[in-house]
Amino acid sequence: MRATYFLLAAAICFMAAVAQAGCTYENTVSLKTSTAAFQAWKAVTGAMAECGNVESELSQEVHVKQAAGFATNPSLYHIGGVMTSSIVPLVNKGLVRPLDDLIAKYGQQLKPNQLMKFEGRTLAIAMMVNAQHLMYREDILNELGIAVPTTYTEVLTAAEKIKKAGVVDYPLGGSWKTTWLEFVNMYLGYGGGFFKEGNLPAVNNAKGVAALEMMRKLTAYMDPEYLVADSTYVQQQFQQGKIAMANFWASRAGAMDDPKESQVVGKVKMAAAPAPEKGGIPASTLWWDGIVIAKNISEAEAEAAFRVAMEGLDKEMVQANRDLAVWLIEGYEPGPAAKGAAETAAAGARPYPASTKMGLMQTAIANNIADFLTGRQPAKETLANIEASYLTAAKESGIVK
Amino acid sequence: MKLKTFAAFVGPSLFLMCLFIAAPLVNVIWQSFHITQPIMETVAVETVTPGFLTSTVTVEKVTRPVLDEKGQVKTETRFVGLQSYRNVMASEKVAALLEGGAWGEILKIDFYKALRFTLTFTLITWPLVIAFGLAVALAVNAAVKAIRGPVIFVSLLPFIITPVIGALSIRWLFVGDGIMTAFLEWWLERDIAMFAQGWTIEVLMLFYRIWHVVPFVFVVFYAGLQTVNMDTLESAIIDGASRWERLRYVVVPHLMPLIVFISLIHLMDSYRVFDEIVGFTSQGHVISLQWLTYDFLTPDDSGNRAISRAAASSMLTMIGIVILLIAPMRRTWAQHKGGQL
Amino acid sequence: MSTPKALRPSPALRLASNGFLAFWCLLAAFPLCWIAVMSFKVPVDAFASNPFSVLFGPETRAAGKGLSICDLLLGLGALWAAFRLATQRLPSAVVWYSPPRYRWLGWIIGVLVFGLAVVVVFYGILPALSRVINPWLGPLGKPLIGLTLEHYRAVWVENAFYRNFLNSLLVTTGVVTISLTVGTLAGYGLARSGSTLAFWLLVVALIFRALPHSVLVTGYLPVFIKSAEILRPIFGDAAPTLYGKPWAVIFVLVSINQPFTLWMLRSFFQNIPRELDEAARVDGCTHFQAFRRVIMPVMWPGVITAGLFSFLVGYNDYLTTSLLLDAQNMTMVPAITSYFNAETTMTDQVEAVAAAVSITAPLFLLVMVFQRQIVGGLTAGAVKG
Repeated sequence: MRATYFLLAAAICFMAAVAQAGCTYENTVSLKTSTAAFQAWKAVTGAMAECGNVESELSQEVHVKQAAGFATNPSLYHIGGVMTSSIVPLVNKGLVRPLDDLIAKYGQQLKPNQLMKFEGRTLAIAMMVNAQHLMYREDILNELGIAVPTTYTEVLTAAEKIKKAGVVDYPLGGSWKTTWLEFVNMYLGYGGGFFKEGNLPAVNNAKGVAALEMMRKLTAYMDPEYLVADSTYVQQQFQQGKIAMANFWASRAGAMDDPKESQVVGKVKMAAAPAPEKGGIPASTLWWDGIVIAKNISEAEAEAAFRVAMEGLDKEMVQANRDLAVWLIEGYEPGPAAKGAAETAAAGARPYPASTKMGLMQTAIANNIADFLTGRQPAKETLANIEASYLTAAKESGIVK
Repeated sequence: MKLKTFAAFVGPSLFLMCLFIAAPLVNVIWQSFHITQPIMETVAVETVTPGFLTSTVTVEKVTRPVLDEKGQVKTETRFVGLQSYRNVMASEKVAALLEGGAWGEILKIDFYKALRFTLTFTLITWPLVIAFGLAVALAVNAAVKAIRGPVIFVSLLPFIITPVIGALSIRWLFVGDGIMTAFLEWWLERDIAMFAQGWTIEVLMLFYRIWHVVPFVFVVFYAGLQTVNMDTLESAIIDGASRWERLRYVVVPHLMPLIVFISLIHLMDSYRVFDEIVGFTSQGHVISLQWLTYDFLTPDDSGNRAISRAAASSMLTMIGIVILLIAPMRRTWAQHKGGQL
Repeated sequence: MSTPKALRPSPALRLASNGFLAFWCLLAAFPLCWIAVMSFKVPVDAFASNPFSVLFGPETRAAGKGLSICDLLLGLGALWAAFRLATQRLPSAVVWYSPPRYRWLGWIIGVLVFGLAVVVVFYGILPALSRVINPWLGPLGKPLIGLTLEHYRAVWVENAFYRNFLNSLLVTTGVVTISLTVGTLAGYGLARSGSTLAFWLLVVALIFRALPHSVLVTGYLPVFIKSAEILRPIFGDAAPTLYGKPWAVIFVLVSINQPFTLWMLRSFFQNIPRELDEAARVDGCTHFQAFRRVIMPVMWPGVITAGLFSFLVGYNDYLTTSLLLDAQNMTMVPAITSYFNAETTMTDQVEAVAAAVSITAPLFLLVMVFQRQIVGGLTAGAVKG
C-alpha cells in the first residue's frame, strides 16, 4: 500500500516537472482565466497552465459568467477568452485593458492581423479565425460528374443529382440549430443590411424574402431534423457518410480525417462558401477568437497575465495542435482545413457585424425563423415579426428611443 | 405552542427561505414594473477586426452606453407600470387579432405558444401519471412477495436518475437514426424523423415526463396500499362488491389524500416544465413558460438581457401556478384546521 | 400474512397484471441499460443505427478489444460471487467486527473495502487472468463481444473525474445534513402549531416551491460574483466571493428544497401522536426537551425518506451548480455536459455516456440500500397530503 502511494507521489512530481518544461519561465502571480470550452481553448489554457499558478475555467456558460466576472472590482478573472460578438459588452462597459504597452514589451512575435483595435487602441489579441465554408465529398461529386458548386443555385442542382443517385441519406447537411446565423449569412450574401438610421430594423425587404426562400429550398435536401442539428451532429453525419455537402465550420475540418471516428478519411474536401447570387459574396461570415486582459486588476497582475497568455499562444502550442483550428499565430502551417476559410475570405466574405443591436437582432431572428421553416408563417410575416421582436427588445434596452 | 417557541423552531428554515427565495422574489416583482436602461450615445468609431489574410478596418456608427468618471455605466431606472407585461403578452397585437377574428393566429405569439404547451403538458401528464402510477402500485401489490423487492428497485430507477442524463438517454434512442427510430421505421415501414415536427417532440417530452414521475407516484401509492383497511375490504367482499367496485369505493377513497398530494406536486412541477425543452432541444418547435423566462434572462452573444420582460413573464408563470393550486390548497386548509383538535 | 382467498386475483387478471409489470420494468430499465452498453463501445459502434452493432460492437472487436466466452464465464462467475458476498457475507461480517454502537461506521468501512475489492478484481485481476488464459483456448478465447474500458479510463484517469466526484460528495453531504437539521425543527414546529400563521407559512412555502428555478438562480449569479464588493463595508477584507464556493451552493440548494422538506416532515410529525410529547410536557419538559427526548427517537423513518429526497436534489442538480460553481469545484452533473456541447467530437460523447453511467452507479447503490426505508418511511405517513 505504502509503495503505491510512493509511486503515485513520484508520478505526480514527474508530471509536474514535465508540465513546467513547456514554459520558458515560472509564473508566480496567481491568475484565473475564463474561456469557452472547445478544443482550441483546451489547448491554449493547457499551454498557459504550464507556467504555473494559472487556474483555468472552461465553461459552457462563459457568456453568462464572463462579463459579470470582469465587472467586479477586483475582477474575478484576469484573462478572458472572447470572440467576435462576446467582446462587445466588455468593450462597451470599459472592462478590458488596452494592451499596446504590453505588446511593445512582450508581444514582438504578434502579427498585425492578430490585433483587434478599437478607437486606435489594441484591446484583444486574436488567436484563430473560424468561418463556415463548403465541405463536400470529393468522391461523390467526381462519380456523379458534378463540379464544385460556387453558388447556391449550383448547390441545389448538385443536391438534386445526388438525391436522384441515392448515394447518401441526405445530400445536404447543416448545423441549423443556430438558424439565425444561417439567415444572417444568406441575407448578407444577398447584399442585405440589417439596420437603417436610428437603429431601426430593416430586414423586411425583397432580399430578406429571397434569403428565406433559399433556406427553405435547401431544407428539402436536408435531414428533416435540421432544427436540432448542432455542429457535433453534422460532423457525425459527415463522418458516417450520411451527407455529401454542407456549409460547415472550418474548425471541424480536422475531424473528417480522424481515423478513430471517421469512415470517410481523405474524402472530404474544402472550398469557399457558395454565394447566393452569381458573382456575389459568399454566404458566410468570418469569426475570430482571442484573449483580453481584465481592466480591474493591478499592473503587476496584468503584466503577468499578458506574459502567460503569450506563452499560451506560442509556436509550440500551435505546432502541437495544428488541426484544431485555423490559427493566426506565427509558426502555423496552414493545413487543408485552412484552405476553405482562406478561399471564403478571399471571395469577399465579411467579418460578422457584431454589435449590441446585432445581438438583439440575432435573438429576434432566432425566435421567429423556425416558424417560417416549419411552414407556420409566410416569409413576409416572419420578417415583420423579426422586426417587431427586435423593436420591443431595442426599446427595452434603450437603443431605440 | 407559544409564538416564541414556534419562532425558534421555524426560524432557521424561514431565514434561509427569506434570504434565498423571498428576497429574489421581491426583486423580481419590483423589476417587472420598472425598466433600467443605460444612457446611450451614438458615435462613429474605427474598428480593426483580425482576419486570416489581413485585418479589416471599418468605421461605423456605434450605439453604446455612456460611462461615468468611475468607469461605471450610467443607468436610469423608471417606473413603467404594466408595460413589460404588455410586451410579454403582446396585448396590442392580440387585440388587433381578436378584432380581426383571427383567433388561431394568437397561438403563434411566443407567450401564448408557451402557455398552450405548458397547459397541455401539465393537464395531459397529470391524469396519466396518476393512472399509470396506481396501476403499477396495484400490480406490484398483487405480485408474489419474492419479486416485489427487485421490481420496486427497477421501478425506482427512472425517478432517481439525474434528470439531465435521463432525458439524454431517451433522446439518444430517438434522435437521427437512433435505435428506437430505426425500430419504428422497420416496424411501420416508413421514414420517421422524431425531431422534425412539433407534435412528435411533444409526445417524446410527455413520454419522458411520465417515465420520470411514475416511479415516485407508484412508491407513494404503494406505501398507501399497505395501510388499506383489510376489514373494510373484506366486508366489501361479503357485500358482493366486484374487484372494480372495491377499487372504486374502498381503495381509491383511502388513497385520496395521497392523490391530492401527488396532484399538488405534479401540477407545480410540470407547470414549470423546462428540462425537457433543453434536453430535447425543442425550442424551434415548442417552448414552455419557464423556457421563455430563461430565454429573456440569458444574455445573448453581445451581453443583452431582457430583465424586465423576464420578471414579468415569471410573474405570469407564478400567477398561473397559484390559480392551478387553489383547489388542492382549500383541502389542506380544512385538514390543517382539523389537525388542531 | 397470507392473502384471503377472496382477494386473490383470477389467473387471467394475474397474467395481465404481471405482464403489465414486466412491460413497465422493461420501460423503466431499458434506456439506462442501453446507455450502459453504449459506454463500453468505440464511437462508431456506440452510435450505430443497427442495435446489434451496438450490442456486439464489431468495430470494437476489430480494434482488438472484446470479451471471449471464457471471459464472459469468468466475469459472470465473479459477478455472482460478488453479489453473494454483498448480500450474505458482508452484513454478517459487519455485525461481527464492529461494536454495536459504531455499526454505521462498520457499514461504511465494509462497503468501502468491498467496493475497492470489486474494482481491483474486475479491473486488475480478471483482465490479467484472461490475458493468460485466452491464447490457450483457441476459438473459445476469440473475442465475441466488443467491449472497451477506454472511455472510463479517459473520464476517470485522464480527465480526473474523481475530483468532480469529491465535489459532488461534499455538496450532497452538506445539503442533506443542513436540510434535515433545519427542516426537522421547522417541520415539527409547523406540525404542532395549529395557528393560522403556521398555515400561511406553509402556503407561502408552497408558492416558493412553485417558483421557476431559472429565475432564482440567474438572479443569484451577479450578486454572488459581486459579493466581495457588496459585503466589504460589513466584513472588511474578509468579505468572501460567494461565486464558486461549494458552501454557498449548499445553502442555495437547501433553501430551494426547503418547502418540500417542510411539507413532508410536517405531515410525518402530524402522524406521531400528540399525546407523546404532551405527556413529556406534563412531566415538565420544554418543547425542545420534548422534541429531543421523545420525538427524535421515533422520527427516523420519516427523516430518512426526507433525507433521500434532499440527497437527490443535491446530487442531481444541474442548473444551480453549473451556474454558481467554478471549474475547480464543479460537481459531476454539470461537469459531464462539457463533453456533449456543440463543440465536441463523437469520442467526447461516448466519454459523456461513460461519465453518465458512472454518475448513476452511486444512485443504484443508494436505492439498493435504502429501498425498504423509502417505502417504510412513506408508509409511516410522511406523505399524508
